[in-house]
Amino acid sequence: MAAFIAGRVLYALGVVFGVSVAVFFLVRIGGDPSALFLPPETSVAEIARFRTLMGFDRPLLVQYWDFITDALQGDFGRSLRYQQPAMQLVLERVPATLELSGAALLLSLVIAVPLAILGAVHRGSIFDRLGLLVSLFGQSFPAFWLAIMLILLFSEVWPVLPPSGRGGLRNLVLPATALAAYSTAIITRLLRSSLIEVLSSDYVRTARGKGLSETAIVYGHALRNAAIPTLTVIGLQVGALLGGAVITEEIFAYPGIGRLAIQSITNRDFTVVQAFVVLTAVLIVSINLTLDLVYAALDPRLRRRH
Amino acid sequence: MDRREFVQTLAVLGSGLTVAPGQMAFAQAAKDTIVIAQSGDALTMDPAKHSHYPTANVAFAIFDPLITRGADGTFKPALALSWSNPDPLTWEFKLRPGVKFHDGTPMTSEDVKFTFERALDPNFKAPYFSRISAIKKVEAPDALTVRFKTEAPFPTMLFSLYEAAFPALIVPSAYVKANGDALASKPVGTGPYKFVEWRKDDRIVLEANPDYWGGAPKIKTVIWRPIREVRTRIAELRSGGVDVIGDVPPEDIQGLERGGARVAAVASDILYFFHFDTLKDSPLKDKRVRQAINYAIDVDAIHKAIMGGLGNKISMVLPKEAFGYDESVGGYPFDPAKAKQLLTEAGYPNGFTIPLVSRQGRYLKDKEVMEASIGYLARVGIKVEAKYLEPGVWAQVSEKKGREGLIFGGWSGLDPDLVWYPLLYTGEYQSYYSNKELDVLLAKGRSTIDPKERLAIYKQAAQIMKEDAPNVPMLQPPLVYALNAKLDWTPRIDSIIDLRAASFK
Repeated sequence: MAAFIAGRVLYALGVVFGVSVAVFFLVRIGGDPSALFLPPETSVAEIARFRTLMGFDRPLLVQYWDFITDALQGDFGRSLRYQQPAMQLVLERVPATLELSGAALLLSLVIAVPLAILGAVHRGSIFDRLGLLVSLFGQSFPAFWLAIMLILLFSEVWPVLPPSGRGGLRNLVLPATALAAYSTAIITRLLRSSLIEVLSSDYVRTARGKGLSETAIVYGHALRNAAIPTLTVIGLQVGALLGGAVITEEIFAYPGIGRLAIQSITNRDFTVVQAFVVLTAVLIVSINLTLDLVYAALDPRLRRRH
Repeated sequence: MDRREFVQTLAVLGSGLTVAPGQMAFAQAAKDTIVIAQSGDALTMDPAKHSHYPTANVAFAIFDPLITRGADGTFKPALALSWSNPDPLTWEFKLRPGVKFHDGTPMTSEDVKFTFERALDPNFKAPYFSRISAIKKVEAPDALTVRFKTEAPFPTMLFSLYEAAFPALIVPSAYVKANGDALASKPVGTGPYKFVEWRKDDRIVLEANPDYWGGAPKIKTVIWRPIREVRTRIAELRSGGVDVIGDVPPEDIQGLERGGARVAAVASDILYFFHFDTLKDSPLKDKRVRQAINYAIDVDAIHKAIMGGLGNKISMVLPKEAFGYDESVGGYPFDPAKAKQLLTEAGYPNGFTIPLVSRQGRYLKDKEVMEASIGYLARVGIKVEAKYLEPGVWAQVSEKKGREGLIFGGWSGLDPDLVWYPLLYTGEYQSYYSNKELDVLLAKGRSTIDPKERLAIYKQAAQIMKEDAPNVPMLQPPLVYALNAKLDWTPRIDSIIDLRAASFK
């Protein structure tokens, strides 16, 4: 088990390092932010002066060396636009994003798990059809469209919920719903089909044969076994939720890291983009790492294989 | 989660829904608070550390400049009561006595001197350095007198000192010296509103300064909220969550008015025009071709169809409200037959192909205006190959002077020297044109501070530009705001939001 964990951790560190290299060079492909940051009438000489002041004219490898040595000490540089430490800007907004993605994930599970169980147990019933309909819609509507429709319906036509901002539960309902749609669909479909597969397996027939109640079979045996592929997908969905938050936050004017990221990308605020990408990579990698360890706990066969 | 928990969760969500209408009514009853939705959050509270209009709007509520732009477009006293020119290189300002910063310290010439010296220091890296860089020295001979020295006569000095020159907002020297970077998060100014709270990317809260030298503002609390998505801003206005939204698309005006909102529009000082790259070898080197393009585009139709008739149609590349704008010079009428004839005379009876490289989405309907113009040009045989670039890439092409063919301008400035000199003077970074005769006039226009003399110079320059057609003047697009119908507030041409006179009916 120790070797398994060590291997996974090393792999995770490699991924984060790779991401840091990629983001550093990718954001710089289109050039530096000087001309974009200064007012349009600024002369070429002044742009050049600014560029030198900010150090954007140094060789890329030198800049990368500075970035990586500082980053390893936790210093991601200062934002050009905000004139504040970049990582601090991102971290300040993390709680809002976690709140939103957490609410969305919770909402997905609250809807998806009962729908999937009902669908699998009563195949072809009205519940099953409802579940399929939900997943079809959830997968086909793009998040930005759904977000705008939700605002139109619940803030304009029937004004019961605020269309933007962060505050209490009321502010969370619309963005979390828009964000949850896709993952709800994916989780419902996947859990339903794994449950169906498990429910038709031999050991379930045996359990039925020895007279266990249907409830005991579904919750005690089938759900646990159907959970493994579903957990994988939920792990992947966390990444998707953080990514989806970028668009959702923008539309609902939600003060999270996604909105900061979009603005920093358009304005070439390199340090903030780097801090955002590295932090997101660390988050997603740690979630997947945790999931790997959870599978190993759930299914001893996985441990032995490594 | 068992069934009971599931039902409880639903109940919680449901109760959230039913509370809502009551709270909405409350928001509408509290009418000494104004909520303004802007496209972005402030970047900093330090007025000299940004180049960003949403930030400038917040800063202008907290800080004051020496002079301010009046509703009629002239400069009015703010922290300075009067100004004069003892000689063409000196601008002397007499300050308003008895003005105090929010922390109680009196505002004196030392603060003014400190404000400009701080922002002019190259190590300070002020993004709007260029706006004030003509100031070479600031003197404070006594507590209420400030003198600005320039190296050469600088006729547009007042434009460097009002609120749209962001680093010109006066900051308290004692506070900044004692607290370092604190100005960026806890600003202290002389303005009508005091800083209360800033929740990043969510809201900025300001409260009225009862001791404001211009009289206590009528609205007690100001809340600035960043909402970038226009549909969301509209929904917030309609549901009563905010009182002012900007950048309203013209096609939404009717719907908003039907819903009970008031729409306030003003022509902005932004200029839509095409200029021509006349430096590289192309048909655009021929004056007749440039004139033909002027005749070929129906600007009136574009103004009506795309802008809903809002904003101004211009006949020279200058805002109508600017110093030196002269309608009598006259533009080119829409006359495709004349355009065809000129193209034939120039040797292009079957037209030609030219490139257009631009960014899009920076200004209201900019792409639509470009596309419509391209359509008109196609009718006289000029094929335009348009390429739209991402803003960052565009800025670099522009910096390397890599624009060619037709260039869609997006420029602003309320004086010919701020518009024509950078765009037309030979060798300037944004200039793709060279005309010795015009160069002489543009250089003369910036070498004297006498308005009468300058007016005469620019009248001559306008004639040359009309005849030689280095550009196609088109529009000043509108700034469109939608407001709570009870709000009394007027938008400004330079897009700066001034709350000093705002009130609720």
